Amino acid sequence: MTENSRLERMLSGLLGYGVWLASLVIGAGLVIVLASTNAKGMRIANAGIGLLILLPISRLLLMLIVFLRDRDYHLALAATLVLSIILAGVVVGIRMAGALGG
Amino acid sequence: MMDARFTLWLFAVSVATSALGGMLGMASGIFIVPVLTIFGHVEIHRAIGASLISVIACSCGGAAPFLKSRLTNVRLAVVLEVATTLGAFTGVLLAGIVPVPYLFFLFAIILFVSAQQMFAKRRQLQAGAPDQGCPWATALNLHSSYPDRELARDVDYHVQQLPLGMALMYGAGLVSALLGIGSGVLKIPAMDTGMRLPIKVSSATSNFMIGVTAAASAAAYFMRGSIVPSVAAPVALGSFAGAVFGAHALIRVSSDKLRLFFVVVLVLLGIQMLLSSFGIHVS
Repeated sequence: MTENSRLERMLSGLLGYGVWLASLVIGAGLVIVLASTNAKGMRIANAGIGLLILLPISRLLLMLIVFLRDRDYHLALAATLVLSIILAGVVVGIRMAGALGG
Repeated sequence: MMDARFTLWLFAVSVATSALGGMLGMASGIFIVPVLTIFGHVEIHRAIGASLISVIACSCGGAAPFLKSRLTNVRLAVVLEVATTLGAFTGVLLAGIVPVPYLFFLFAIILFVSAQQMFAKRRQLQAGAPDQGCPWATALNLHSSYPDRELARDVDYHVQQLPLGMALMYGAGLVSALLGIGSGVLKIPAMDTGMRLPIKVSSATSNFMIGVTAAASAAAYFMRGSIVPSVAAPVALGSFAGAVFGAHALIRVSSDKLRLFFVVVLVLLGIQMLLSSFGIHVS
């Protein structure tokens, strides 16, 4: 129980601070775009979007580490499967980008 | 170059839908794509990509209070995510093949189902007795308890029909990747009715899961280069701002009038999406 609520505290910290960080990056990028119509701003906003997508993926990694440490192998397997499926999607995405010619 | 007025419009629309959705305890994702395509004339795949990013922002932004109050069942979430991400992966493979009119049509159906659900209101089913818990869920140690404020004590609950839940979650993940929504509309009945979770646990766990489900398809679309930052950035930022605002809003609206208003909005958007699927554009 205490172990479980420790995981929940870690997850809430990661997601809570992470979403603020990603939003600040996206916001900074947009302000630059609107203020100066600078292409660099859009790249910063895009990096913020990338950070946001990484956030749920990093919480899966955190869960995987905690489950492994607790020797909870069934749940560690579930987390590994989810991460593998996401990775497979990323590979398909890269291949599709190649097929579209960039 | 990017149009400043259009950026601000995207931002404002996202703040409004997210804040209003939050007051009713529903994800705003379902409004983003119809509003962007119907009123903003945004191409539907761009709107879907932007909506997925806003779903991630709302899921992560809303997760902390649920986790702190021990309403989220994180163990059950990660098991169900195997099915939702597999569904999302299938959706990514189908996304390029499904013709655009079909996407509008499917979206219209989801809007009508949402309207029906909102009209009918969620109700708590009789919780199952401990011996009715699903053996799979027992083996994985997924049963848990949550603090009930009214009873002022922890209430135990047992997860039921895990295989049925997994099958429905696969469908929810597929729809999420195809339409760019959180699919709460499909997840919540699966968890309330199928797995017999307490409503608060079901809402909190669904909110926690939609971030990973959306990230699975968003990561693939991002790598493919089909998430357009000029649309996605203002939408994501606006949705997050709206969610923060909605969570801190002093007015907790639960009136039946507002609910009815949303039912009407969902039906109207559904009709317009249905017309769009047949190539008829009113606005």
